Amino acid sequence: MLSSLLAVSLCLLTSFVRAGSDYHERLLLRPLPQNALLASFNFRSNESSSSFERQNFRYFPRSLGQILQHANTKELHLRFSLGRWDAESWGARPWDGAREGGTGVELWAWVDAESEANAFARWLTLTNALSGLFCASLNFIDSTKTIRPVMTFKPEGNHPNMSSPNLHLLHGTLPHEVVCTENLTPFLKLLPCKGKAGISSLLDGHKLFDASWQTMSIDVRPVCNNDGSDCVIEMEQTVDMVLDLDRSKRPRDNPIPRPLPIEDIECDTSKSYNSQDSCFPLVKTSEPSWSLSEIFGRPIKGACPITGEEGENAETVCLNVPAERNVDIKTNGGYTEVPRGEGLLRCYKLPSRDDFDISLPEQTLPTPLLLPQPPLTAARSINGHGQERGSVQAVITNPSDYPVSLIYLESLPWFMKPYLHTLRASIPGAPASTNPIKETYYRPAVDRHRGTHLELLLEIPAHSSLILTYDFEKAILRYTEYPPDANRGFDVAPAVIRLLPSDGNPNAPPVFLRTTSLLLPLPTPDFSMPYNVIILTSTVMALGFGNIFNLLVRRFVAVDEIEGWQPGGLTGALRTRLDKLKARWFGKGEKDE
Amino acid sequence: MAIDKQKAILFGAAAAVRLFLFTAFPSLPNLLTGRVEISTPVTSFKRLQEGLFLYTHNVSPYDGGVFHQAPLLLPLFSLLPNPSTYPFATNLLYTIVDLLGASALMQIAETGQSVSSRLFTSPRKDLRWSNIAIGASFLFSPFTIATCIARPTSALANFFVLSSIAKATQGASITSILALAFASYLSFHPILLFPPLLLMLYDAHVTSSKASPNPIGFSLAHVGGLATALGMLLYLSAILTGSWEFLAATYGVRLLLPDLTPNVGLWWYFFTEMFDSFREFFLGVFWLHILSYVGGLTFRLRQQPLFVVTSLLGIFAIFQPYPSIADSSLYLALVPLYRHIFPLMRYSFLASSTLLYASFLGPAFYYLWIYAGSGNANFFYAITLVWSLGLSVVVGDSLYAVLRDEWEVERPEMQGKEVRRI
Repeated sequence: MLSSLLAVSLCLLTSFVRAGSDYHERLLLRPLPQNALLASFNFRSNESSSSFERQNFRYFPRSLGQILQHANTKELHLRFSLGRWDAESWGARPWDGAREGGTGVELWAWVDAESEANAFARWLTLTNALSGLFCASLNFIDSTKTIRPVMTFKPEGNHPNMSSPNLHLLHGTLPHEVVCTENLTPFLKLLPCKGKAGISSLLDGHKLFDASWQTMSIDVRPVCNNDGSDCVIEMEQTVDMVLDLDRSKRPRDNPIPRPLPIEDIECDTSKSYNSQDSCFPLVKTSEPSWSLSEIFGRPIKGACPITGEEGENAETVCLNVPAERNVDIKTNGGYTEVPRGEGLLRCYKLPSRDDFDISLPEQTLPTPLLLPQPPLTAARSINGHGQERGSVQAVITNPSDYPVSLIYLESLPWFMKPYLHTLRASIPGAPASTNPIKETYYRPAVDRHRGTHLELLLEIPAHSSLILTYDFEKAILRYTEYPPDANRGFDVAPAVIRLLPSDGNPNAPPVFLRTTSLLLPLPTPDFSMPYNVIILTSTVMALGFGNIFNLLVRRFVAVDEIEGWQPGGLTGALRTRLDKLKARWFGKGEKDE
Repeated sequence: MAIDKQKAILFGAAAAVRLFLFTAFPSLPNLLTGRVEISTPVTSFKRLQEGLFLYTHNVSPYDGGVFHQAPLLLPLFSLLPNPSTYPFATNLLYTIVDLLGASALMQIAETGQSVSSRLFTSPRKDLRWSNIAIGASFLFSPFTIATCIARPTSALANFFVLSSIAKATQGASITSILALAFASYLSFHPILLFPPLLLMLYDAHVTSSKASPNPIGFSLAHVGGLATALGMLLYLSAILTGSWEFLAATYGVRLLLPDLTPNVGLWWYFFTEMFDSFREFFLGVFWLHILSYVGGLTFRLRQQPLFVVTSLLGIFAIFQPYPSIADSSLYLALVPLYRHIFPLMRYSFLASSTLLYASFLGPAFYYLWIYAGSGNANFFYAITLVWSLGLSVVVGDSLYAVLRDEWEVERPEMQGKEVRRI
């Protein structure tokens, strides 16, 4: 009786708890033009605020939760990225760039503290703890790489007192950081199913870091309902990658790309030089064939048991292909296919224990998949030559039919000294009187203490490009401040662009865009020379000083007056000493006798 | 009247050359402003523009690591129109500063202090160049013209130093001290010229008033005057910028050398290659080294304080933290005043060819390091060593010649004979 009562109460408890703390995972696969595939993994865990504060962690990982509590961090966004998103071929970024980071590691968080110094101390605690958790060198985010953005980032969560001055936003970035398997493994360990079941079982370091573009992101934010009660802490982990299908299909033991034998290549016969031994490969218009086990190296190992049983939560794999595309499902267990998104999306509920594989054969489609177009494109580069100075040029294009406002954020290292009086924004084709820069926030760099923080509010009219340029000067660093590969240069963090919502829709989700990072070569001294430089410079100084000192201290005598005078110097001293010794020996001998 | 006409022609020609270069080659000023031999982080015109931009946009220019120049320059240059659109006013200002400096130099030459001071008259005092020749050697020196075209703020400091010396030879205490205060406020190291200038003022007072004022009272009065002038300037700067943080950004940069941009001096590469634990020690050693010349030269050459000033300016041109050819042009402007000792100098050919060699190869090796990438930093460093050696040969050799000239007053039979120093 007692045991059955216990079992019933346990069941009730688990169902009640499950309703309060959800877990949700989703994999979106979207074939992209030119043999690419976008795979977007999304994992969401909720924990109610009360359990979070009492340290009852169920789906929210304890390691991360305790770090956030210790560092008084209310909202955290961490990104690991590699590669470049090709907007012309692949369209708009997944999640509208909201889950994307700049090359390397990017971290921004809202920290609760009474003063700025306190907030910075907590920020350092946070970065050091996260560095240990993720095996990434986040501990290098110090005051030279941290800025406090003013306009660019808005909190995604519902904070109880939003406008209180105690909530400090700090942003740090490490563009030189290389993201690899040692960062993926702790990422997977934070998941409830830990990469062993569900869609996370596809994530493998070899394939993920071979992608043309990949981002791993972690977002933790408090979410409350409208009246402020019933808050949950939501953690969202996302892995987005664009895989090159040919490269991913290469087997692991034979990764070297080899050209196909000429018999297997389809040649463009309209070319004049087409013959038996010269061939211009025909661009394939058909969709390539691929399957999950080919490109990820393994099929999905069943569903993660804690995803829901019915409804949209249970459909964990979605495929974004046109309705005509043939899809083969290879599994032994039972699965359910649900069409969504007006025929363009096919979502699957995975079998609970059996392997699940999706395979798409090669097929020529009458109409390719229509990709969402990016609302803005941006490119940034360094102009100029030589290692003394240069200029940065950013070209931001607005292809849409209406003018856009955007915030442009740059966080530059201290050894790149921009000249703000040379900042020019021009829109080719627009009248010269309009200034596209509406607001500027600039905090200059201080050598070895703080980097440059520049935020601009820009307005670009419809169908126009904005060209933003400014000059900068490169500094020469101290001997110990250069990295071991000094002639490679230093990485400059990507610029972050946030598209402001148009007037019609102020609560729309944010649209972000990041440019690529820059490689800044600095002039290097000769590293083999510290001792030589010290002795040579000291020699020159000693020559000058010694010459003047001798002139000031000595007096002139004529050459012929020197004969009658005891010569000084070494010879004189030796002679006098020798004479004295002689006198003593021979004198002594005489005395003895 | 004839001299005035010659002076007018000289000034007109010098102004014409400068204005011609400014207007006929509109990209030349920016090109020269970018050269490290002329512009240093503490005098560069481009950094002044940046500081001015921040100042006019209500951002503190001293909160960053770019602008390291004196605060009172900001309201002065904000009166002028923007140089990128209307450069003529700035060009005219620098041309006038050059001409005023030349006028001060010619005043110094006119007094004849270089050949006969209160306590000493050279046996060779008839061997002199005319004032016009000395003014021309300053105005048409390529270093001076390049400095004027590149528009660094060291041109203004040079003018203040020259006018301070000119007023000291004439005995105008207040003007001299005020000019010295301005020069020290702009450049920091001219304050070390105070002891010899004090001697010059004392000598001028004694000759003009025929009564010898109490030396201690005289010195204290002038020290007090200098301190007051400097204090007023610093206080005005603090009011202008709102706080005292400009001190760390202007004088602190010269003392602690955070900015290691290459220049023609010895400091930058030394402190680039230095390990961090020895930085403070060597900074102290280098500054102590400069300070040590003042006392020794002033004592030994008490009878010729103008030569002490000249030698000290030469030493500053070599051993300053951020030297440029502006400092060497100032020194080489005062050297022709001592034409009478040129026959006694032993290494004039060596020194002049070394300076020419370094002037031509310096920009070439800098280009090889920074732009072509086929040379490394050692090439340019070697040229800075050669340049410093050349200047120190000039300083040392002229000091030898002046000391020998002094000695030959008491031993006139030694003219032309070989001597030794013991």
